[in-house]
Amino acid sequence: MLTKPADGALTRRRREYGLFALLVAPNLLVIAVFAYWPILYNAFLSLTDWNMIAARPTFVGLSNYRRTLTDPAFHQTLWITIVFTGLIVAGSLLIGLALALLFNLPLKGRGVVRTISFAPHILSGAAVATIWLFIFDPGYGLVRALIEPFGSEPPDWMNNSDWALPGLVIVYLWKNAGFTALIYLAGLQGLPKELDEAAAIDGAGTWTRFRAIKLPLLAPITFFLLITTVIGTFQAFDVIAVMTGGGPGDATTTLSWSIYKEGFQAFNAGRAATLSIVMFVILLIVTTVQARVLERRVHYR
Amino acid sequence: MRRRGFLGLAAASALTGCGYRSIDAIYSQPAGSVPKQYANRVRVVFWSPYGGVNGKAVDSLVAKFNDSQQDVYVEVQFQGSYDDVAQKIAAALVAKQAPDLAVLSDVTWERFFLNDALEPLNGYFTDGFGPAVFQPKLFGEYVVKDQSWAVPFARSTPIMYYNRDAFAKAGLPDRAPRTWSELRSWGPELAKVQSGGRSLRTIAFAKIDGDWQFQGNVWQFGGAYSDGLDVKIDQDGAVAAGEWQRQMVHELGLAYMASSASTDFANGLVGVIQESTGGMKTITSKAKFEVGAGFIPSEVSAGIATGGGGIGMLRNISAERKQAAAAFLAFLARPENSAWWTTQTGYLPVVNAAREDPELKKLIAEQPNYGVAIAQLANARQQDAIRLYGRNSNVAIYTGLQQIYADNAAPREVFRSVARRLDAIGDEVRRQYEEKVL
Amino acid sequence: MKTRPLQYVALLGVAAIFLGPLYWLLSTAFKQPAEIYQWPPVWWPDQLTWENFSLAWKAAPFDRFFLNSAIITVAGTVLKVANAVLTAYAFAYLRFPFKKVLFLLILGAMMVPGHVTLLPNYLTVASLGWINTYAGLIIPGIGSAFATFLMRQQFLTLPSEVTDAAAVDGAGHLRTLWRVVLPMSRPMLITVVVITAVEEWNNFVWPLIVTNTAEMRTLPVGLLILKDEEGLANWGTIMAGTLLVLAPMLLIFLVAQRYIVGGITQGALKG
Repeated sequence: MLTKPADGALTRRRREYGLFALLVAPNLLVIAVFAYWPILYNAFLSLTDWNMIAARPTFVGLSNYRRTLTDPAFHQTLWITIVFTGLIVAGSLLIGLALALLFNLPLKGRGVVRTISFAPHILSGAAVATIWLFIFDPGYGLVRALIEPFGSEPPDWMNNSDWALPGLVIVYLWKNAGFTALIYLAGLQGLPKELDEAAAIDGAGTWTRFRAIKLPLLAPITFFLLITTVIGTFQAFDVIAVMTGGGPGDATTTLSWSIYKEGFQAFNAGRAATLSIVMFVILLIVTTVQARVLERRVHYR
Repeated sequence: MRRRGFLGLAAASALTGCGYRSIDAIYSQPAGSVPKQYANRVRVVFWSPYGGVNGKAVDSLVAKFNDSQQDVYVEVQFQGSYDDVAQKIAAALVAKQAPDLAVLSDVTWERFFLNDALEPLNGYFTDGFGPAVFQPKLFGEYVVKDQSWAVPFARSTPIMYYNRDAFAKAGLPDRAPRTWSELRSWGPELAKVQSGGRSLRTIAFAKIDGDWQFQGNVWQFGGAYSDGLDVKIDQDGAVAAGEWQRQMVHELGLAYMASSASTDFANGLVGVIQESTGGMKTITSKAKFEVGAGFIPSEVSAGIATGGGGIGMLRNISAERKQAAAAFLAFLARPENSAWWTTQTGYLPVVNAAREDPELKKLIAEQPNYGVAIAQLANARQQDAIRLYGRNSNVAIYTGLQQIYADNAAPREVFRSVARRLDAIGDEVRRQYEEKVL
Repeated sequence: MKTRPLQYVALLGVAAIFLGPLYWLLSTAFKQPAEIYQWPPVWWPDQLTWENFSLAWKAAPFDRFFLNSAIITVAGTVLKVANAVLTAYAFAYLRFPFKKVLFLLILGAMMVPGHVTLLPNYLTVASLGWINTYAGLIIPGIGSAFATFLMRQQFLTLPSEVTDAAAVDGAGHLRTLWRVVLPMSRPMLITVVVITAVEEWNNFVWPLIVTNTAEMRTLPVGLLILKDEEGLANWGTIMAGTLLVLAPMLLIFLVAQRYIVGGITQGALKG
């Protein structure tokens, strides 16, 4: 059953192509329909006015963009999103790093505590939010139980504009700090021991060694965590949905909540699509920066 | 160029059939499960926002209907809040699905009516089911240009609930306050009563949907949300009402914003609340004290907003399903069923003859609380058009109220920006409103 | 070795912060309602009760939610991981014109934030007639970019002799994949499976918008419904429901935390 070698190579190649197409097609199809097409569809809807009950969308040109970009409520939403994201990013990085340093010490039981602190990361956001809603309950919540013995009254967290956003931030930090700690810990453990030891011999204190040696070496990890946390936090939804629904007032209305609100509560498809495009563009910029920096990192290595 | 790009995208989305509705297309029913014994009947899907005690009452009514005849099977599907029901219908229509009947709130049925999603009901009226049967005020709210677009079902007004035990402890008379000023003067007395380790607050304002009660409050202080679609919420009466509430919360510390005012009330944390009469059964069964009820106080004038849910029939369903759905509506319009619903929930009897029902009469004689809303109905009226017809204007208003309750924001400022939003909302709907309603 | 009292206090404090809320959940779920609304609070339930669970069960069809979550998690994970493995294999071992561009196209999907796709995907699923169906719940999520990337990286680390030897044996590609490549990549595969399963189980916003009857809801969404239905009136019931949502993931975490931790750190350090 010998065929000519050239023929065989050709058939084999053709078969390989066929198999490749077969293996890749389902994934590519789903990605095309549910990841790329939505961007185009959003672009289309953002040029229309459609309440999803009316028979069809009407073309309105760029007026959704004009209205959105000049709307003070949108500016506020953007500001809240930035504050919210900033607090969570800064908090997760700081707390995560502190935890990692603690877990890096030769303490008994650190492994268990590390695992415990990481557990919230894999728990359902909706469920975690529900727990914290009860913890923050001004009548019978855990916070009241902890605070009142010291003579102070707890705020009505989720019903107070000044407290609702910090409350959400606390929940997200509780959920995410263990994750950043884990990554930082892996980074710390991957650092070359020699540098640290050499510096210690030179008489550098713990803090100096941390600031001058470890921190710079951890920079790539910090950068990775920064980007992933920004992207994740921008899309934070479940905790907000369960705990505040964007309120009180607009105090916790982030961009992701307003997309949901416009699209699935106000039936304003055009506006929701416009906000989606805005979010897409912002995150595209973030990821492009990431890609650029990573590229440079690779080149300079 | 821009136009051409748009058309290209439009064509592309048309190719994928992106769910644009044709007004008279027949859509499929949402899935569900039909018990075997009802398998051969016409199925009617009924979307309801009632959970808890009221949900059980809906279930009982439906079960009674299913057992009362051989042709129709009604399946209740609980959908969450009034807003959830509306969202789910809009979502279903895009998916070319439609429930047959749905409870639509005072502020959501208009949207479906304006966009041709509701079936006109005059054609289904009979002697036992029609204009003569229903309470005229409540029935009339769904009539536009002589055509009915829904029928009243769980209609309500806010009433004032008060904690009789706490009132007694505070040495106050056993009645609801007559004016808001009177309530305020009672605040310090109520604060002397301890509950849950802290002093009793006078009144709780609702965090979500408080704009319904506030509609009445605005009238009581001499203002209005709007005149037609012309927004008036930034004018004196409304601002005075907001200012009164702001002072109660922030200057006197007598009031606060509650996620669920009725829960807090039932748990004895607050002296009075303005809550739907439809919460009567729920609140009475949960409270561990004597619940009192009275009219909502007035200030410069009386006036309270009707609210709650009516039932609309979707247009995009088959004639067979429409007839079956109408049979269920007619069943609900029977005096004994309307009365039973009232006794189980506290909602207003929407059928005239229901008031003569012996069971209901007996209940009112024993528990006068159930009669309060009926007596108060004389003061009730339909809400201002901007809240009814403006898409999500209720959200804009209660978001503003939250800023007053939570942030001590000045009502005049808040309502000025709310008014700007309402103006924009009004402009969106004005053309349709003038064409179809006026 | 010096003792470090301060550090141990810190460690204990950290443990308390992360365990505290979970203890609060657990104890409330088993408390009798009267104890929940007692002041000062009862730290340790006097008498454990299952009452809250039966109430939660009565208020919402948790068995159905559970079944749906299980179906979606299993089917979603299998399909998504299959996609990742097959795609990764193709890109690692097979020739195809414009392979690089295609791979970038797949990776590019990571640049599209899921939240941005909600409304269009809702409309697409609607026009496919998939609202409130398992297909609608599962299919939009089975495209795989990150897991594909991880699996391909893993495959490329395998010594080429292995696959060459298999080819000489006359084993077809699928057999090589099944018999040789996958067993050698077992830890990574488990990681990908576990992480995907956790994501599927916890998914919230998509099931929220794409389902509209209790029969099709998943546990996290069901929890929101329970919360609405109970109107924050009955924390015992709500906490019992919350525990039902969390318990399976906590179990998986206890069993497979090694893989989760390994996978996540690898993703970070390599990515």
